[in-house]
Amino acid sequence: MAEQSIAGAPSRAMAADGDRSAWARFVIALLCLALALSVFMSLTSGASDASAVRVIHDWFTGAVPSDGALAARDRLIVYDIRMPRVLLGVLIGAALAVCGAVMQGLFRNPLADPGLIGVSAGSSLGAVAIIVLGTTWLAPVTLALGTLALPLAAFFGGLAVTLLLYAIATRQGRTSVATMLLAGIAISALAMALTGVLIFMADDRQLRDLTFWQLGSLAGATWPKIGTVGPVIVLALAAMPFLSRGLNALALGEATAGHLGIPVQRLKYTAIVGVSAAVGASVAVSGGIGFIGIVVPHVLRLAIGPDNRYLLPASALLGASLLLIADAVARTVVAPAELPIGIVTAVAGAPFFLWILLRKRGVVDL
Amino acid sequence: MIEARNISVAIGGKRIVSHVDFTARPGEVSAIVGPNGSGKTTLLKALTGELAYTGTVTLNGRDLSAMKPVEAATLRAVLPQSTALSFPFTVREIVRLGLIGGRSGVLPGEDARLPERALARVDLDGFAGRFYQELSGGEQQRVQLARVLCQVWAPVLEGRPRYLFLDEPVSSLDVKHQLIIMNIARDFARRDGGVVAILHDLNLTAMYADRIFVLHGGQLAAAGTPKDVLNDELIEKVFDCRLKVGALPAGNTPFVLPQSAA
Repeated sequence: MAEQSIAGAPSRAMAADGDRSAWARFVIALLCLALALSVFMSLTSGASDASAVRVIHDWFTGAVPSDGALAARDRLIVYDIRMPRVLLGVLIGAALAVCGAVMQGLFRNPLADPGLIGVSAGSSLGAVAIIVLGTTWLAPVTLALGTLALPLAAFFGGLAVTLLLYAIATRQGRTSVATMLLAGIAISALAMALTGVLIFMADDRQLRDLTFWQLGSLAGATWPKIGTVGPVIVLALAAMPFLSRGLNALALGEATAGHLGIPVQRLKYTAIVGVSAAVGASVAVSGGIGFIGIVVPHVLRLAIGPDNRYLLPASALLGASLLLIADAVARTVVAPAELPIGIVTAVAGAPFFLWILLRKRGVVDL
Repeated sequence: MIEARNISVAIGGKRIVSHVDFTARPGEVSAIVGPNGSGKTTLLKALTGELAYTGTVTLNGRDLSAMKPVEAATLRAVLPQSTALSFPFTVREIVRLGLIGGRSGVLPGEDARLPERALARVDLDGFAGRFYQELSGGEQQRVQLARVLCQVWAPVLEGRPRYLFLDEPVSSLDVKHQLIIMNIARDFARRDGGVVAILHDLNLTAMYADRIFVLHGGQLAAAGTPKDVLNDELIEKVFDCRLKVGALPAGNTPFVLPQSAA
C-alpha cells in the first residue's frame, strides 16, 4: 500500500513518542561536523601540492615560513583559488538544497525541484541573455547594473518561471502536481529554446563559455563573484527559517494553514521570491547544477522527518557538504582536466531520483 | 457570538449559498444540516473566511474580513471534512501544528504536554508515535480533531468565547467514537465556547444540537431548536424523503439510537 511505502523507512530513526526533534538536532550536529570535514578536504586537495594546512598554520601562528617564494605561491593557491571555490561550493550547495526543500513544502510534493520544474531554465535564459546580448541589445542594462546585471537577470528569469508555474498549477488553493510538472516541462522547453536562439547568435568565444557554464561548474570562483552573489544567497537563506513553521502548516493544505493562523499568501510570495533569488544567483555563477535540491531534502526527510524547522538547516549543511564532495570528484576524476560538476551531480542524482519514483509509485499523485 | 448576515457565495459563477442569516451563540452547539449539495460546507467555508462571500460575518462583534489570520486563529479552530497530508509526519507532529498560530489558553509550560492530552480526549492514547498516513480514515479524522482542540483548548480566552467549526466531524467514525466526539463538542459548549457543526445524522443532531440550521438549495429552509425544526413536513420538503419523526419501526425490526447510550 502507498501509505506504508511513504512511512516505512523513516520509522527507523524515530523515538517511540513521535517526537523527532532531539534526534533531528543530533543529526544537524553531525552534519556540521561533516561540513567542516568537507571544507577541510576541499581546501587541502587539488591539482597542486600546495599545503593548506601549512598556510592555515602559518596564518594562525604568525610564523614566517623558511621558503618565502613557495609559501607565497601556496598562499595564493589557498586564498585566491581554493578558498573562494570552497566558499562558493558551500553557498551554492546550501542554496540549492534549501530551495529544493522550500519548493517541495510550497508545492506540497517531494518531487518539486527548481531544476526539474524549469526555474533554473528561466534563470539560465536570463543569464545567457546578458552574456550574449550584454554588449549589444542589452548594453544599457549591463552598463547600468555592472556586475549585478548577470545575477539580476538570472533572478528575474527564475522568478518569472516560478510565478507562471504557480499561477498555472494552482486552482482554488490546490496545487496540481501533474499540471506543475507538465507546465514545468513546457516552460523549460520554451526557455531552453529561447536560450538556443541566443546561443545561435553567440560568437565562438561566447559559445565555449556558455557550454561550460551550462554544464555547471564551480571553476570560475573568484572573490569578486562571491562578493556579488554571496549576499543575495545569504539573505535569501536567512529568510528561509522564518518560513519553516508556515511550511509545516502548509503540509495540511492552504486552507488549514490559514485557519492555523499562517498568512498563507505572504508565505507563498516570500518563498517564491527567496527561491528565485537564491536559485538565480546560484545559476548565474555556477550554471546548471541539478539534483542537489531533490536528493538532499528527500534523504533528510527519511532521516529526521519532514519538520521544516530542522529540515531546512539540515538541508543547507548536507547540500553544502555534498556539493564540495561532488566538486572534489569533478576535479580529480579526470585530472589534470576538470569535469563540469553538473555532470557529476546528474550522474549520481538522476538514478537516485528514479529510485524515489519507483519507491513511491503509488504515492506520487500524478 | 458569531453573526452572519445575508451571506451569499458564488463559485465559478454559480451561486451556491444565497442570502443566509446565521447566528451561533457561545454555550451552544449549532448544527447545520441539509441534503448533499445544499451548501453546508460552502456556508461553513464562508463563515471561516476560506471562501469569498458577500454579506457580513462577525466574530465576537469584530468583522471577520478585517481580521489577520493569526487573530482569527486565536478565536476559532476549523476541522475540515478531510485533510490530505503531503509528507510523512507523525501523529504528534500533526497535533502539535495546532499550537503554531493560535493560543491554546493553558499555562505556557503546559503547551508541550497538550498534544498528549488532546489525543487522550479523542481516544487515541498511545498513538503519538504512529505515522499519520498509516492510520485508518476514522483515526486520521480524530487526529485532526485533536489538532483542532489544541488550537482552542480553553473555550474562553481572556473573557472572550472561542469557537469550534466542525465539518462532518463524525462522518467516518464508529458509533462509540461518534458519541465521544459529540460529547467533546457539547463539553466545549458547556464551558462557554461555541460549536458550529455540519452533521448528517439527524438523531445525533437532535441529541446534541441546541440550534439547527437547515439548508436547502443554498437557502435557509428553517432554523430553531430540534423540537421546532425536526418535523415530518420539513424533512419531506428538504430531504425529499417521507419519514416520520418519532415513529417506531413496525414489528420487531431491531433499531439502535444514539440516544439510548448509557
